Amino acid sequence: MPDLSLAALAAHRFGFGPRPGELRTIAGDPRGWVKAQIGRQTELPAPIAALPPAEDDLLAFGRWLTRRRLNGGNAGRIEERAERQGVSQEDLQRLSVEEDFVENFRDRATRAVAARVEAALISERPVHERLVHFWSNHFTVSAAKPGAVALPPSFEKEAIRPHVGGRFTDMLLASTKHPGMIVYLDNWLSIGPNSRIGQNPNRGRRLPGGGRPTGINENLGREILELHTLGVNGGYTQADVQALAAIITGWTYERPRLRDLVSDQIATRTGAQLFEFDVNAHEPGAKTLLGRTYAQDGIAQGEAALGDLARHASTARFIATKLCRHYIADDPPPAAVARVERAFRESDGNLRATMEALVDSPEAWATPFAKFKRPEEYALTVLRAANLSALPPGAGIAALTAMGQRPYSAPGPDGWADHADAWLTADLVMKRIEFAQAYAERIARADVDPVEIGQACLGPLMSDETTTAIRRAESPQQGFALLFGAPEMQRR
Amino acid sequence: MLNRRHLLAGAAAGAALSFPVFAFGQAQATDKRLLIIILRGGMDGLSAVAPIGDPAYAGLRGRLALSASGDNAVLPLDATFGLHKNLAKMHALYGAGELLPIHACATAYRERSHFDAQNVLETGAVMPFARTEGWLNKALGALPQARPEMGMALSAQAPLILRGSTPVATWSPSALPDVQTDTIDRLLSLYEARDPALANALQSAMSANGIAMNAGADDMRGGARALAPLARIAARFLKSDDGPVAAVMEMGGWDTHANQGIEQGPLARALTSLDDGLDAFKQEMGPAWTNTVVVIATEFGRTAAPNGANGTDHGTGAAAFLAGGAVRGGRVLADWPGLTQRALHEGRDLRPTTDLRAVFKGVLADHLRVSSTALERDAFPDSGAAHAMQGLLRG
Repeated sequence: MPDLSLAALAAHRFGFGPRPGELRTIAGDPRGWVKAQIGRQTELPAPIAALPPAEDDLLAFGRWLTRRRLNGGNAGRIEERAERQGVSQEDLQRLSVEEDFVENFRDRATRAVAARVEAALISERPVHERLVHFWSNHFTVSAAKPGAVALPPSFEKEAIRPHVGGRFTDMLLASTKHPGMIVYLDNWLSIGPNSRIGQNPNRGRRLPGGGRPTGINENLGREILELHTLGVNGGYTQADVQALAAIITGWTYERPRLRDLVSDQIATRTGAQLFEFDVNAHEPGAKTLLGRTYAQDGIAQGEAALGDLARHASTARFIATKLCRHYIADDPPPAAVARVERAFRESDGNLRATMEALVDSPEAWATPFAKFKRPEEYALTVLRAANLSALPPGAGIAALTAMGQRPYSAPGPDGWADHADAWLTADLVMKRIEFAQAYAERIARADVDPVEIGQACLGPLMSDETTTAIRRAESPQQGFALLFGAPEMQRR
Repeated sequence: MLNRRHLLAGAAAGAALSFPVFAFGQAQATDKRLLIIILRGGMDGLSAVAPIGDPAYAGLRGRLALSASGDNAVLPLDATFGLHKNLAKMHALYGAGELLPIHACATAYRERSHFDAQNVLETGAVMPFARTEGWLNKALGALPQARPEMGMALSAQAPLILRGSTPVATWSPSALPDVQTDTIDRLLSLYEARDPALANALQSAMSANGIAMNAGADDMRGGARALAPLARIAARFLKSDDGPVAAVMEMGGWDTHANQGIEQGPLARALTSLDDGLDAFKQEMGPAWTNTVVVIATEFGRTAAPNGANGTDHGTGAAAFLAGGAVRGGRVLADWPGLTQRALHEGRDLRPTTDLRAVFKGVLADHLRVSSTALERDAFPDSGAAHAMQGLLRG
């Protein structure tokens, strides 16, 4: 017998809420509906496929940076470089008058956010899209850092998406090798003190602002341990941070040169294709990380270390806790965490098997409304309920920003918070209501009954109080505002 | 009315400003006000309050060194220290005896993770993630609850320092259109029936919006990047009749790993914004500035030497500021450890000699009259060695 309550729970807890009519489809086998979507994706959603590759992001950012230098009294050095690289004055001139940062980056960012939202709205695999959001937040690359402003969308597309439902090791490696992460956490600036460049900094490439990097930058090494693998209480020391940072010195990417910036060739390379191991920046010799010695040469050293980190018991615990916190409850039930942790360990970090263990946990199907939706999930719930298939450009992003969660712009490398304390605040609740009202006005029509829309979205989870409040509304607009602002739309 | 308040008191997010003040009975409201500005990312204290008189400073800092004169000249404080020149308005406060720079200070934390360090800064604990409530929330909870919300965050979400069982308000500028009052009232009824936590939050937002709109928040539609506009609103909340006793603002942009610059660059921009923000706050406070303390603190300092990318990495000893009419300023508070290689913490960072918890406790005790029991037991457990610092405030 179809169970609409379980269907609604599945659609909201594991996806972004149903589109009209979807609840009945899910009701046949809610658990099977979820499980069918947690494996790897063979084809990219169309809006995502259309996003540019990392190389294009890097060129766009490089052009803007160079233009700013050309127009900001730093032209001399760039002109020298142009001459060395055989770039004509004419090309340089063209570069200096291209579209400005705001036009260029706001449009890029708008397109990327719109693509992410559209993928979640039209997807028939919303559970998979939720997982993409989860992992992209686990390995945060954020436009909040100016130098990384263009990179989060291609990072998510190239380093995260292919490995959702795949192997954690592969995702960790893809993340650590992507220019998005390498720029966001400064690894391109990290130089082994005993490497060739470390011994003679003049061998290194100049930084955009002048000078040359020297010394180890610990940022990426630290965050891999603290945020990507073991977790902050995972049992590592400052010495381990330094060791991992030394191990991945030289993990950088092919930085575009001036002649690339003026080229008319279409950029096609992904982050993985731009990854570069710079042996001249790599700290030579064996290193000891978490009591294990890594004596490999070159890139093999880092690959071996990351492989071991991915397999570490603390990593299994940390990932299982985060997944259960995200899907089940702010304080995740220990029994569920233990099951998911075991699945992660026993499958050697197979993310499909790990997620299957979560879906099979009874805790994942208990207590509706244990979680307060994050703003992006909430907005997607409303838009799917309203049967919209795209975010209105500009206004939609402004709304997500106002509600506290502009996509691709998490405040720090630890990503967006995943507990109600952070989101259920006076100010954010008011902003959700403002959003609810704005979208109610956008979609309300006299011949569409908000109660019906609510039932299609929430099924039996819609409360009598909400139904009554909508029936008493003074206008269809207000009816929709009450539906979109109702408690059960905001929780899962 | 009474029933509803009791219902709300048990819920998570806090009661509402809109309750009539008389409902809170006899509790006497203090006229003291506290603003805390958290600088997230780790402010480079050796650039903000530069120890130009330390003989090791110029050599150690290299390309990032400020100096007594010339292009990179500081604004003089005393024989040892000078303020970065983008802090000109704060320098004027120093001259008026209303700014107290504090140097070589740190929390109990000695590692170098932003998240751990901010966690310790805000929980007042010895270890990161040892507590889930913030010290300001605990301290406010120990005061007579003369306000429905004793604390307020000028952000959409309360930062950890304000999180806990004592109700706090939140407010931030909106880019979205206003909602009809009638729709809000109907949603409030729905929340009261179904979801007390949402009801609480909405009540609080409704009254905060009332105050903010009177303070010109309409001009901030679309949000504000600079500190000053929001600082003005903070002042309006703090000086309003049933407003909070303490408010918290946050400011990012201090994690200057690369190209941090001296006169220009991300650090200089952040300092200007801080300087303008504090000044805007002071102007808006008007006469209430006399009874005000502003605490400006960051999670850690940065490496003593530049890192080769013309930036600095996560360090230890930091600089902080107290400002306000109630502060006994016009001097630098520092037990200066020096910058020789031997003096540096782990050979790389400014060695901390002042415990920030002692400063915070001193302000809470002498300014807001938080009892020592509450300070030691609730706000800063296991901080016995860091005695509440005395003499930070006037009279």
